[in-house]
Amino acid sequence: MAGAADVPAEADNVEAIIARIEHKSRKIETLLKQSKPVEALKMALEGSPPKTKDERCKSANWIIVHRTIMAIKDVDGMFSSLDPEYYDILMKYLYRGLVTGDRPTCDQCLKIHERLTERAGLGCILRSIADTANTV
Amino acid sequence: MAVVATHQFAQCITCHVWSPDQTMVAFCPNNNEVHIYKLIQDKWERAHVLQKHDQLISAIDWSSRTNKIVTASHDRNSYVWNQEGAEWLPTLVILRLNRAALCVKWSSAENKFAVGSGAKTVCVCYYEKDNDWWVSKLIRKKHSSSVTSVAWHPDNILLATTSTDGKCRIFSTFIKGVDTRDSGTSIPDSKFGEQIVQLDLSSTWAFGVKWSPSGNTLAYTGQSSMVYFVDDIGPSPVAQSVAFRDLPLRDVLFISERMVVAVGYDCNPMVFTADERGIWSFVRFLDERKLAPSGSKYGSQFTEAFGKFYGQSKQMGSDTVDPTRARGGAHENCITCILPLRSEGVTVVKRFSTSGLDGRIVVWELDSD
Repeated sequence: MAGAADVPAEADNVEAIIARIEHKSRKIETLLKQSKPVEALKMALEGSPPKTKDERCKSANWIIVHRTIMAIKDVDGMFSSLDPEYYDILMKYLYRGLVTGDRPTCDQCLKIHERLTERAGLGCILRSIADTANTV
Repeated sequence: MAVVATHQFAQCITCHVWSPDQTMVAFCPNNNEVHIYKLIQDKWERAHVLQKHDQLISAIDWSSRTNKIVTASHDRNSYVWNQEGAEWLPTLVILRLNRAALCVKWSSAENKFAVGSGAKTVCVCYYEKDNDWWVSKLIRKKHSSSVTSVAWHPDNILLATTSTDGKCRIFSTFIKGVDTRDSGTSIPDSKFGEQIVQLDLSSTWAFGVKWSPSGNTLAYTGQSSMVYFVDDIGPSPVAQSVAFRDLPLRDVLFISERMVVAVGYDCNPMVFTADERGIWSFVRFLDERKLAPSGSKYGSQFTEAFGKFYGQSKQMGSDTVDPTRARGGAHENCITCILPLRSEGVTVVKRFSTSGLDGRIVVWELDSD
């Protein structure tokens, strides 16, 4: 596995990613206050998943994605302004949401999942579950 | 574009291949035999059964000029079959593998063949006249998982492979005394087994690698519903990843430099084309059944899958193809193999055939436009 020399670099990297996520989080809060949930979702999915195996980064990122997913009220309206390039990564986070087992989260994720599958097909699901390199 | 003929030859077909004149078809009915059917008075009749392997035959190839059949099997061996009179006589090729052989292809000049295996190796075999023996040279320690398909470049030297480690790799297979240096390869002075390029586009299993007719473009598929197109093979290849909305693909066929037909788990061939800028995209399904709207699409697919699962025992052993049953398409299970049907002296592919786990071989014809 990673040699001793890699550890400080990895730690630095983690701090940088956390800082970036926190910065993003503040911008997302502003967007949510302005009632722009789709913009917030796009911003949350931008640069996701964080390219690291560090669980702290992944959870920090998941928290803000989760926040934006739960803020979506009009699912059909969201898809009319969400570009297809976000579909694969959104699908990954929907599955992460289902893992939580939390009732409101699962309800929301299943609702979006249904619409997303209609749009992006089974290929989108396959891409999100088959990709083991970029885990969320 | 339409289905010309559908033949239900077996319950399941692992691979099929045509004789050089296309009057015979050889396939493996999911066991250790190769069945060769011949067209006699508009009826396909079984002409030969090749029995020598101990385990499932995973791949067959039939050389068009030398009329030799090569088979690769899970029993870790290959046989080269020669027709002498009415008989097909096997010659054992010791591949020196410790895992199953998974794919086999004759080289473009048909003096070599390549076998991909579960032993993370590729065997390149050639005939030694002095010893009357097929020699197997191995490309070792380059793949980190099973080799799922191999494809020869028209120059007879370059060999592309796909593997379950998600990579597509290109090797030189130059063999002294078999190949000559002036064979027009784009990569001169390469040694046997030298890796020319490794394409790391897929993070999941890769399948079905093919070269375009000119050898300028390479296509292969990923298990994550992706198909990859690669131009300018060499130090700086240009790659395109095309995602599509349906189930993953297993094999591809270049119809021309700019058109590809791909087959896989959706049981329906898909057409991909490149526009004038060279950007590849999905165009349409070949089998028209997908056009009928049926409410929630993915819901009905799941129901169909269950229906198939429980209804399978009824379908077994039926020789006739009932178009109203199940999905009503030309294929009703995963298509694993697609081959061109070339008329003599014509380089353009007008017809091709597909075979799948439903035991059918389907012949398709392209529209003239």
